Amino acid sequence: MVKMSLDPVQVKELNVSPSPNGDSRASWEEEEVEEEEEDRLGIATKTKPVSVTDLSSVSPSLCFRLAARMSRTQKLSLPDSRFPFQEASDRGSSELFTTSLFKVWCLRCPPVAHQWGGASDKVTGRRARKVEGGVFFPKPENAVTVAVSSRVLFRTELEQRVFEQKGVEEYLRYQIEHENEPFAPGPAFPFVKALETVNARLRELYPQSEELFDIVLVTYNHAHVGIRLINTINHHNLFIERFCMTGGSSPIGYLKAWQTNLYLSADADKVREALAEGIAAATMFMTEKLTEVSESQLRVAFDGDAVLFSDESERIFKAHGLDKFFQHEQDNEDTLLDHGPLKGFLEALGKLQKKFYAKGQRLDCPIRTYLVTARSAASSGIRALKTLRAWGLEIDEALFLAGAPKGPMLEKIRPHIYFDDQMFHVEGAAEMGTVAAHVPYGVAQKHNQPQKPGARK
Amino acid sequence: MKDADRALVVAVTTRAVFDAAAGDVYGMGVAFPLLQSLQKVNERLLEKNPAESLLFDVVLIATDSQQQSSRIISSTSHYGLEVGRFCFSSREDLVETLVVNNVQLFLSTDRDEALQVSQKGVLSALLGRQEAPSESLRVMLCGDAIVRPDCDPVPASRGAAQSFSARLGEMRGRFGVSGSPLSIVLVTSSGGSKSCGVALQTLRSRGLSVDEAYCLAGAPRGPILSLLRPHFLLGDGVIDLED
Repeated sequence: MVKMSLDPVQVKELNVSPSPNGDSRASWEEEEVEEEEEDRLGIATKTKPVSVTDLSSVSPSLCFRLAARMSRTQKLSLPDSRFPFQEASDRGSSELFTTSLFKVWCLRCPPVAHQWGGASDKVTGRRARKVEGGVFFPKPENAVTVAVSSRVLFRTELEQRVFEQKGVEEYLRYQIEHENEPFAPGPAFPFVKALETVNARLRELYPQSEELFDIVLVTYNHAHVGIRLINTINHHNLFIERFCMTGGSSPIGYLKAWQTNLYLSADADKVREALAEGIAAATMFMTEKLTEVSESQLRVAFDGDAVLFSDESERIFKAHGLDKFFQHEQDNEDTLLDHGPLKGFLEALGKLQKKFYAKGQRLDCPIRTYLVTARSAASSGIRALKTLRAWGLEIDEALFLAGAPKGPMLEKIRPHIYFDDQMFHVEGAAEMGTVAAHVPYGVAQKHNQPQKPGARK
Repeated sequence: MKDADRALVVAVTTRAVFDAAAGDVYGMGVAFPLLQSLQKVNERLLEKNPAESLLFDVVLIATDSQQQSSRIISSTSHYGLEVGRFCFSSREDLVETLVVNNVQLFLSTDRDEALQVSQKGVLSALLGRQEAPSESLRVMLCGDAIVRPDCDPVPASRGAAQSFSARLGEMRGRFGVSGSPLSIVLVTSSGGSKSCGVALQTLRSRGLSVDEAYCLAGAPRGPILSLLRPHFLLGDGVIDLED
């Protein structure tokens, strides 16, 4: 197994003048680099001495500690006070991401070169084992169950209008009439396809394992629509073998019965109900613009506060402002944040990632996770990373934007889904073509209402 | 007024309807909510069409010599239950009694009893536990039986099941999509979404439109069944509701 060296030699190259308090520049070299990071990385690093400008192969924890050091030493003695970063080769862009001290883009592992879109890989076209009779479907407790509603998996706006304007009988008649016309893909479609890609890879490596994604269609549609939905599933070659069509009653009980790890719906009320039951859930919206996403790697991006973490810090920010927020975060740096509604899902993703790492496929892992937070690396971000580390959760890339808009960053990452608790960010992401899902949790719900009326149902 | 040819005759054991209790009147048993739901369906059918002949005809069958016929009848009227007929039979003569009375569906809480009846070709099912009276009569159909037409040996009650479900479909068709006193729920336990789709289409071709559909594809049935709370489940042979 190739190991990445967190050799402090790299850090030594940083040209920092002594700070006023007398700390030598080598002080963080002496500081213990977390050894536990080493065995997780498993990537060969460049052996040539790395220039001061290249921090692309440094772990976020080391990175933020650098930044923390910088901020604490008061004087920003870096050349040009910048952390310029080597371009990421697969981003396709050659712009340097330069920033002031508070905006640091930390990469834990170098991004893997993936082909964008297209038939890049051996797994497209390979279908999971579907054996009628000797059926191989994972038990819900072993699988990572993702429940999606029909309105986010497919585009059903036309039918929705029929329902709203002409009532349920006419709506069902319409559906039956158009039974052989498959629906078009909806906002959750690329995400579901990506889950299937991961499954194909998992099955290759662990043919007998039930630790897979299990996608369940949970809709309060009437079973009359069932045949059209099943036809659509077959048309798009989706591997969805489980569903609940509740004919109008609440699907929430079924989510629990399926041991759902994540529920995606167009209906904010249902999502709120699910969250109240402790199920990770988010509302999805159709966007007109959709950037192309990878077909070989599942990318999931999370906001920090009120998504992975509780909204406790956001409360402080909203009540007392930014300064108090920073102060509070600094004072409580070593206190773990409480968990948020999507922590469990990140955990589930991490478990599957480890299965790839165990087979030496870290570089080629088809799951990649991102933290995209308005916190800043040098200060408030520290607490977030410490919390993640204490939880034993790994995140591949942590992006601390220090309040900068998230849209452009997400457009570079191109996640299949991005979870945020604030509609402002969800809409901003959507404007730039990222599929964003709203997590209606925490204090932000009182402050941020959806801008567009279409975002309702 | 139940037209003998057109009514759907449903027989329920008195042991299921009444609990042994002291006093003149029996306590309410497991099948009580079921009877109330059947009655509700009849009421709504007659509301729509006072001359309706496709109604449920409830027959109470007592095989339990412990329960006294007089108390059964007085309890029935005490609770205002609409019962078409009372039959007092021995265990050995049960099937014959059912056939003679043109029973299309036999409901019991006794698994052996239900099996015995089913093996002789009379459609039989176990009663589901209902904690609270439900808004509608919830009939669950086991899709796996529908999708496997050529299993060997063909269950004796297969024919009875098909004709019952066709009549049930006709009855369901009298009501609209929402607010129906009768709900048909399809559950397929094994097999994927394609086979559930086949079941839906097969049922539709027999005139039975399903309200809710659940495709389990091998997932344990228990959690889903406890949410669905059917009054009874129809499938090949007799299926246990407590999984």
